[in-house]
Amino acid sequence: MRKEWVTGYLLILPAAVVLAAFTHVPIVRTVHDSLFSRASAIRPSRFVGTGNFETLASDPVFWKVLGNNLAFALGTVPVSIALALVMALLVNRKIRGQGTLRLAYFLPTMLPMIAAANLWLFFYTPDIGLLDQILGAFGVSGTNWLGDPDTVMPCLIAMTVWKEAGFFMIFYLAALQTQPPELWEAAHLEGASRWVYFRRVLFPMLMPTTMFVLINAVLNAFKLVDHLFIMTKGGPNNASNLLLYYIFENAFAFNDMPAAAALTTVLLALLALLAVSQFLFLDKRVHYR
Amino acid sequence: MSTLRLEGVEKHFGGVRVLERLDIAVESGEFLVLLGPSGCGKTTALRIISGLEEASGGRVLIDGRDVTRAAPSARGVSMVFQSYALFPHLSVAENIVFGLKVRRVARAERDRRLKRVAEMVGLADLLDRKPAQLSGGQRQRIALARAAAAEHPLCLMDEPLSNLDAKLRQEMRAEIRALQQSLGMTVVYVTHDQVEAMSMADRVVLLRDGRVEQSGPPAELYARPETTFVAQFIGVPPMNLVALADGPRGAVISGCAPGAAVLDGPGEGVLMGLRPEHVSLSETGIPARIEAVDYHGADTVVSTRIGDQRLQIRIAGHFVAPKDGEVRLAWPFEAVHLFEAESGRRADLPPKPAKGNPQCSVV
Repeated sequence: MRKEWVTGYLLILPAAVVLAAFTHVPIVRTVHDSLFSRASAIRPSRFVGTGNFETLASDPVFWKVLGNNLAFALGTVPVSIALALVMALLVNRKIRGQGTLRLAYFLPTMLPMIAAANLWLFFYTPDIGLLDQILGAFGVSGTNWLGDPDTVMPCLIAMTVWKEAGFFMIFYLAALQTQPPELWEAAHLEGASRWVYFRRVLFPMLMPTTMFVLINAVLNAFKLVDHLFIMTKGGPNNASNLLLYYIFENAFAFNDMPAAAALTTVLLALLALLAVSQFLFLDKRVHYR
Repeated sequence: MSTLRLEGVEKHFGGVRVLERLDIAVESGEFLVLLGPSGCGKTTALRIISGLEEASGGRVLIDGRDVTRAAPSARGVSMVFQSYALFPHLSVAENIVFGLKVRRVARAERDRRLKRVAEMVGLADLLDRKPAQLSGGQRQRIALARAAAAEHPLCLMDEPLSNLDAKLRQEMRAEIRALQQSLGMTVVYVTHDQVEAMSMADRVVLLRDGRVEQSGPPAELYARPETTFVAQFIGVPPMNLVALADGPRGAVISGCAPGAAVLDGPGEGVLMGLRPEHVSLSETGIPARIEAVDYHGADTVVSTRIGDQRLQIRIAGHFVAPKDGEVRLAWPFEAVHLFEAESGRRADLPPKPAKGNPQCSVV
């Protein structure tokens, strides 16, 4: 009996080792590295304390990228969740071609991001792209969608929503199928319309799913960068640059590892803050069965 | 004027006929039970009344208004579901007044009704709880309170007690009946449990394969079943149906000696119905062989064989079978029901006692 805790630790050891090796140790290393200066051939790395963060704070590109990322999150998260819910409600009903419709909604999620980005690159191409060809019929042409700092973010947001909504739809669809049909019947008998039922019963019942999807969507808004490699490389003039891509640039294009480490630390802190606040503020409002 | 009338209501799903020309009328304040085995169409009938299912033919009238094609919410019915259909994220109070809020009943009126029904079903102290924190019986009460708070002319209940344990079911039977009486509710109650039907109903409609087999007060269905189906559905254990045969001195129980007449007249093609509780042990009765003894506490159900027929009897208290396994059975002549074996319908001719002392030897 006294050796029970030994068995317990032995059982979680394999998972703990893998997690530590690939998650916890790198995090600690990164935070550690962010406190040291960049090493060069003539000057070795030395401890600079918050120096790297001060440099970051005075870097206008950093603030630009951070702002971009917040705009990207605000643009993609609510819209993709709302769209996912609407699509799930649509394909949850008994309609002809239900299976095909579900597949069609889910298809963007199955495409690799690189393929999707190439597809949308074609949509956005000036003059010969799909968007310009359609707009050309109305006399608008030659818009450089991805080349204009004003339009590049909305374009990326639209593509990301298209890509993510189908994925979140699957979660809503699964949740909808566990809803007992008597609840609608009971509400319907009491005089509730579809909308009242949705607002007063269905949506609150879906809150655990919404919570899960919301956390995933927010994390994704900070994690997705694949499309930037294909479509914009963060340009023009950093107008579409996002935190993760900026980290990549610092580390491998500018070869400034301490700056990249400092940026990573900021990103980690930001994500931790978001996760904690979501659990603290939203969890109380969620009804779990 | 009846609160509810079904006129020739039919329902088929695809090619399968579920209800066949159903005619039912329910008076105001009446407690009507739709009784039947599973698959007899009773729940479908209830759903057609509620509007959750549409009738394939016939008419549904509530308070004289034709609602056959009306939306469920426009019919003025409330419903208690088998699964209770409570909203798990809402408190008990919010569950009860859900419909009142949706229908924009004024706040003062809402509070008044909530207070009244919550006290009636004994939930007054639990109004802030969530359904998940309550027991099955309490959840059942929420569903009842919600139906009562609606104050609709008609309340439908779909096997509301089937998820409760036996003891609670017994309590709730009495409570539902009391609630219905004190509020003067008109109730259509669906169940497959004949005990619920017998103890609660003003009138029972027994359905079989989508048709009304017999309809009437519980005592009438018990005392004068029109068919063998009704005879065997009402009563625990079910009524014995004993095949009779012709004999020189009158009808004999099939498989018995030809002289041992139990009734006057021919016996071929006739079934004799006898309730187990009407048969008793008697020194001068017909000999029977005991096959099984089933002790229930208050009484004992004994399965016996007379001739080639089985007969279950109910004996008060703890019955210990004699060593030789032989008993003698007797029953008052008035307890005998007669049915035509072929059609299963009640025979028109009243039974006449056999002349002389009925004797039957076990083959």
